[in-house]
Amino acid sequence: MTRVKCSKLRGKKPDELQKQLTELRQELNTLRVGKVTGSGGAQKLGKIRDVRKSIARVLIVTHQTTKENLRSLYHGKKYKPKDLRQRKTRAIRRLQTPKEKSIRLKKVQRRQWAFPQRTYAVKA
Amino acid sequence: MRVCFFHLLYQIRLDIYLHLFSMGPKKETKDAAAPAKKKETTTAAATASAKKTTKTTTTTTTKVVTKERKEKVKSTALKAKQRVVRGNRLTRNRKVHLKPTFRRPFTLRLQRQPKYPRRSVPKRNRLDHFAIIKYPLTTESAMKKIEDNNTLVFIVNIRANKPMIQQAVKKMYDVEAEKVNTLIRPDGEKKAYVRLKADHDALDVANRIGII
Repeated sequence: MTRVKCSKLRGKKPDELQKQLTELRQELNTLRVGKVTGSGGAQKLGKIRDVRKSIARVLIVTHQTTKENLRSLYHGKKYKPKDLRQRKTRAIRRLQTPKEKSIRLKKVQRRQWAFPQRTYAVKA
Repeated sequence: MRVCFFHLLYQIRLDIYLHLFSMGPKKETKDAAAPAKKKETTTAAATASAKKTTKTTTTTTTKVVTKERKEKVKSTALKAKQRVVRGNRLTRNRKVHLKPTFRRPFTLRLQRQPKYPRRSVPKRNRLDHFAIIKYPLTTESAMKKIEDNNTLVFIVNIRANKPMIQQAVKKMYDVEAEKVNTLIRPDGEKKAYVRLKADHDALDVANRIGII
């Protein structure tokens, strides 16, 4: 079996990927049996690693595409699943937004408008 | 005494208002069900009457009574009437408790209606049938089991239990298991003895899998 490449996988449909995944896993199963019975030889034993990594690649691609699609689905919505939200740090997530920080009392607004910070210059 | 006077006041106020607002082109019913409709027909007459009454008392200004004011006054008048009819004290039917203990009554329990799923992608099952059965054993004692007892011996994921193993074997090799016995080996792996049903032959299945 040829080496599975991620770039080739990304074009495929999800059910195709699923089928490939099951095929790979069955192959891995037979390889493992071969390992125990001592039938294979060095080549077959080496193939186990390739198959394992191929399975990993298929899983990566499926997961990445589903996540991407979900992100585009939830884009702009108010309530997103927690793993699609910004991670940053816990403290940063709890900080006030810039808008919230800029809120001032009406009285304060008026005062700032009426009496702003003046700059003076001394005439030379 | 006081109560009587209060009632009297109510009555007087009631009569005045209801008289005022039921005045119109020959209307008998004074129900609150259609105040708006009545209002439209009687506003002219009412304003006229109001104006008339105010005019008789005060000669200078004519008071303009707005629609909202009229509705408010009417509703208060009706409430007063109701109070008079049923009495000022509102009696409540209180529950009789026959036992000394009070147990919390059943309250409404709503189902969850989440605004968003907490996880975007549900967790995939890591212990599926590929992961449960690792490989079959091909030791001498295992071979003996295949021939004599119609059983297959597998090394199995340690987190799998007997029903899981039975299902996995069924899915992977299309064989029904009569029973499954498990043990955990000293090296930490789980060994499963899967006795097949009488209509399956363990030897054939073993050939099919690849263990001979």
